[in-house]
Amino acid sequence: MDAGKFLAGAGLRIATIAGQLLVVSIVIFVVLRLIPTDPLAMMIPANATRDEAESIRAAFGFNRPIYEQYLMWLGHALQGDLGNGIQAREPVTRLIKTALPLTLELAFLGLLTGVVLGALLGILTFRARGTRLERVGEAVASLAQSIPEFLWGIAFVLIFGLALSLLPFIGPMNSAYIVPRQTGFLIIDTLLAGRLDAFADHLKHMIMPVAALAMMKIAMVMRVLRSSLVEVYLDEYVNAARLRGVSETAILFRHALRNAAIPTVTLIGVQAAQTFGGTLLIEAIYSLPGLGNLMIVAIRTNDLPLIQGICLTYCAIVLLVNSLVDLSYFWLNPRLRRQ
Amino acid sequence: MSSRGQARILIGGGILAFIVCVAVLAPWLAPHNPNDQDLLQMLAPPAWSPDGDWSHPLGTDNLGRDVLSRLIYGARVAAIVGTIVPIGTCLLGSSIAIVAGYYGGYVDKTLSRIVDIWMSFPAVVLSLVLMVGLSPGLRSVILATVLVDWTRFCRITRGAILGLMKLEYISAARITGASHVSIMLRDLVPGVLPLIITLLCVEIGVAVVVESILSFVGVSVEPHIPTWGVMIADGLASVFQAPWCLVFPMLAVILTVMAANMMGDGLRIRFDARIVDRTRAPA
Amino acid sequence: MTDEAGDRIPLLRAAGLTVRMGDIEVLRDIDFSLRRGDILGIIGESGAGKSMIGRVIADQLPDGFSVTSGMLRFGALDLIGMPPKDHRRLLGREIAFIPQEPMMALNPSMTIGSHFEEHLAHLGHTPSTMRRKTIEALSDVRIAAPEHVYDQYPFQLSGGMCQRVLIALAFISNPDLVIADEPTASLDVTSQGHIIGLLRRMQQKHGTAVLFITHQLALAGQICTEVAVLYAGEVVERGATKAVFTAPQHPYTIALKAAAPLLDGEWTPLASLRGHMPGLKEYRTLDGCRFAPRCATASDACRQATVPLRQKSDHLARCLYDDAEARVEFPEGAARASLGQSKGELLRLDSVSKTFFRSGWFSRKPGVNALRNVSLEIAAGEFVGIVGESGSGKSTLGRLAMGLEDATNGTILLDGKPLGRSEDEWERRIAAIQLVFQDPRAALNPRRRVVDLATQAIQPRMMRADARRARAETLLRSTGLPTDMLDKVSAEMSGGQRQRVSIARALCNAPRLLIADEVTSGLDVSVQAQILNLLLNIRKEYGIALMMISHDLAVVRYLCSRVVVMWKGEIVETGLTEEVFRNPQHRYTRELISAIPPDDMNQPWLPLLEFAKAS
Repeated sequence: MDAGKFLAGAGLRIATIAGQLLVVSIVIFVVLRLIPTDPLAMMIPANATRDEAESIRAAFGFNRPIYEQYLMWLGHALQGDLGNGIQAREPVTRLIKTALPLTLELAFLGLLTGVVLGALLGILTFRARGTRLERVGEAVASLAQSIPEFLWGIAFVLIFGLALSLLPFIGPMNSAYIVPRQTGFLIIDTLLAGRLDAFADHLKHMIMPVAALAMMKIAMVMRVLRSSLVEVYLDEYVNAARLRGVSETAILFRHALRNAAIPTVTLIGVQAAQTFGGTLLIEAIYSLPGLGNLMIVAIRTNDLPLIQGICLTYCAIVLLVNSLVDLSYFWLNPRLRRQ
Repeated sequence: MSSRGQARILIGGGILAFIVCVAVLAPWLAPHNPNDQDLLQMLAPPAWSPDGDWSHPLGTDNLGRDVLSRLIYGARVAAIVGTIVPIGTCLLGSSIAIVAGYYGGYVDKTLSRIVDIWMSFPAVVLSLVLMVGLSPGLRSVILATVLVDWTRFCRITRGAILGLMKLEYISAARITGASHVSIMLRDLVPGVLPLIITLLCVEIGVAVVVESILSFVGVSVEPHIPTWGVMIADGLASVFQAPWCLVFPMLAVILTVMAANMMGDGLRIRFDARIVDRTRAPA
Repeated sequence: MTDEAGDRIPLLRAAGLTVRMGDIEVLRDIDFSLRRGDILGIIGESGAGKSMIGRVIADQLPDGFSVTSGMLRFGALDLIGMPPKDHRRLLGREIAFIPQEPMMALNPSMTIGSHFEEHLAHLGHTPSTMRRKTIEALSDVRIAAPEHVYDQYPFQLSGGMCQRVLIALAFISNPDLVIADEPTASLDVTSQGHIIGLLRRMQQKHGTAVLFITHQLALAGQICTEVAVLYAGEVVERGATKAVFTAPQHPYTIALKAAAPLLDGEWTPLASLRGHMPGLKEYRTLDGCRFAPRCATASDACRQATVPLRQKSDHLARCLYDDAEARVEFPEGAARASLGQSKGELLRLDSVSKTFFRSGWFSRKPGVNALRNVSLEIAAGEFVGIVGESGSGKSTLGRLAMGLEDATNGTILLDGKPLGRSEDEWERRIAAIQLVFQDPRAALNPRRRVVDLATQAIQPRMMRADARRARAETLLRSTGLPTDMLDKVSAEMSGGQRQRVSIARALCNAPRLLIADEVTSGLDVSVQAQILNLLLNIRKEYGIALMMISHDLAVVRYLCSRVVVMWKGEIVETGLTEEVFRNPQHRYTRELISAIPPDDMNQPWLPLLEFAKAS
């Protein structure tokens, strides 16, 4: 592909994402101003006079018209300042920066597990089509898909954490391990510090949350991949390859899989948004100090600047992931590449 | 071929009907008032365990409230949410999809872009934000869920409409003098109806899950109304002492979602089979 | 059998071959033989089971189908009894296939080169020689820039180019047998000539035997040494091509010939066969000759027991009677649209252009120029044919006249008054003009019954149900459909019946101009003749004008007094049909006409001559 064209395309894409984020920020801003209770209620001392209350309000800008508040917020936001949390009294950006890596790690591992296992099972059940194995796989998949992530999370805690005491389920790592923060991603930081024991412990803590996040995805990827394989096998080029004497294994891996992957990739794109939504509750269940936990605290305390900041972060991530998915279409589908 | 999918429809539909019956008859079925606190019998185990007794068949929670009664009353919120939300999302999502798909061009582009932006919010995040903006209560839960989930309907239905628009019977209707509204109602809607009904079923399960998620985070209905989600959240607090407080509402949610998915699957198979039969008919 | 008496033993021989699905005999008692270096044509309409023969040879029968008796030999090998593994080893080496839809038969995510690499690796070539070998093979099939094509993807090539690639792939292993299953069915007529010429040249060069499966009689007549005509899973007639074509003995073959419109010679009415090819499920009820229900000659003896292939003069036919030809019925009263009916202008297109835009969010980039400066007028009661290949803009022209697309430039006038976009003008337009679509399956809402479909046009006027039903009955009668079809839905009808309903719907409000967009291209020849004769009858009954859009010149010649030839969005030639076809002026018209295989097999076909010259 032409490098200049590629850069132009990437530039356009980033501009689009920026535009979408702008719209998103307006939506969030407006929705949050519908709020019936006073977000500052907890900050204003009970014995404060009306004037004192007003001055605190003014300090946060809540006394101005909504569009002015928005423009003010936007002005700061463009300089990388999302304001201070009302409760935490810390810059929102710093709070998010601390929490984000764990959420990204969790979502990435969850998605990866889902895709890898789902694809394997999809191919396996496809090869076993028409047999009992396929029907069993199908039944298990439809069960797995019926149970939402957070219930999987709880179920795992009940079974593997409490009943069997196999796996830890509180926090990202045993608090006895102290690892210097470098990238923020524990999975990398433990390795950078050369602490293999901490690394192993961290992984152990992540098994259940990741599995809970992955369950639905495994089932979905498996089903979609299998059914698109079935569809691709109806295509004439599969038959033509067979008539040239190509072996069934080669047909599956060389001819069918790549074409069948396209709907699966689309699914992963759609699922990316859901995955990040899923981390929110999983973090709450497993006491992981990520973005989701931060969000829940922010919601419980009506911390508007923080909620705003976290929402924007979630949306930015989802839009980025979607762009990556679009990019992978180019690899999968030569037709797009040539346009 | 009529048996294809029939079993799933019957089982799934049966379970859903049972839940609705329980919800309607809750005052007569429940052994206790769901909010009565029996402080002498906090965290009582289910009746069949060694220390259980039949006054609380499924035990009590950490405030001594009867788990079975709360479960039964919880079905009310589930039934209401599971009925109104699918209808709402369906009406909003499908009508926008039909308009976008039929008129195409800039109408379609604008609406699709709105859907894109909407979908860049993880559903959970958006519904939480909406619940912060709205006041807690059943109406808000329904509104928030509809506002979050219509996009799913819209996207899938629009895809199907675009497929139908390629078929010439839409143009054919146009040149026989049919009005736009008539084409949408007579030619497009029946074409996507199987899809919409299938989605509608699946949405029943989604609505119940979303409500339980919102309750779990603590931004759902008013505190005095028992819901399965609230029970799960409360149960998690006492999970070490009384796992049953957690297990039963979880099973209730899972059962509902499974029933809804099952019915949806069954209907999809049923409709597909009919389409296949049709295309197979004499060549 | 006479063919075995020759010095060459057959390479492929089937005897009594029977394929069943459950209790249905899908193929019944198939006999044929093919010698090295010969081309055997398997001729049949859709549903005859001709592709099933290829599947038997490839051991690729669909689930539930199996060979229950008979034998199939490839050289000394028994193709029915041999282990599947050994059978598969033959494919792509000794037996190669050329598929029906070249665009679909290549993997969209693999380059042309990688298809060859895969196949050559399979044949045991070393990677170092592959590229050279592929380039050679590609130039062998007359691909001009093989180096360039090597790195291209299938979607970047035209259908004809893809078919060349597939022919190269088929012949690269120097196979003994090539099975070509309708290799040109999805191609335009001009590339059809090139592909057939190429196939013939490759076949002669390699001395390969070819099993050529087709529905086109004329095509088979040009290249096949022998033919077998298939009907409903049975070989009804077979023998040397010349013998079968000059004196066909089976009523079906006779009818097939009589149903095909001709490109030259005297205008004669087409004999249309009644009914349609039976579906698999109907085979159960056909105990005797499977053609009997459609046959004018059939007697009770035909219906009671299966009829064997019998020797007739110089070849074999599955018919009890020897004078079948005399008994084929011809329709009465079908008369050609006469000339000089210019009772004043009905529709006029004034330098109309159409550009399809590729629109982004902020820009509209001009895309395809579908039509450029097209001017055309149609008189009341006139039958005008619009011919051209895919991409010529002929369908766009029809949709534009109907108002389903808007012209980018130019005006369309009805009765001398311009047609705009207002609601009133739309009403005026649809009252006078109606369009019949190419694919009746897509054009009829599958959920509506025939009674509603036929009277769709009067639906907006609230009409009483019985009045509407009565109107539907009249329409069905004028389109030759039984009135007991009123309550059926489109899935319960055959392709020909669907197209009749579609025509009935267009006639509902008695329009003055009917636009027929490739209305017979999805139909078998025998059913096509029914529809063409129906259109002639409608002209008599309703006195309407017809704009017949078709890629098939013979169809247009049969119906239309005037013809318009389109090429790349422009009208390149127009005039009286007979004159244009006899003495074409534009280079493209000449190319188009010479690309069509002549009906008379003794006449030379230009594309074959060209290839013969070149090699």
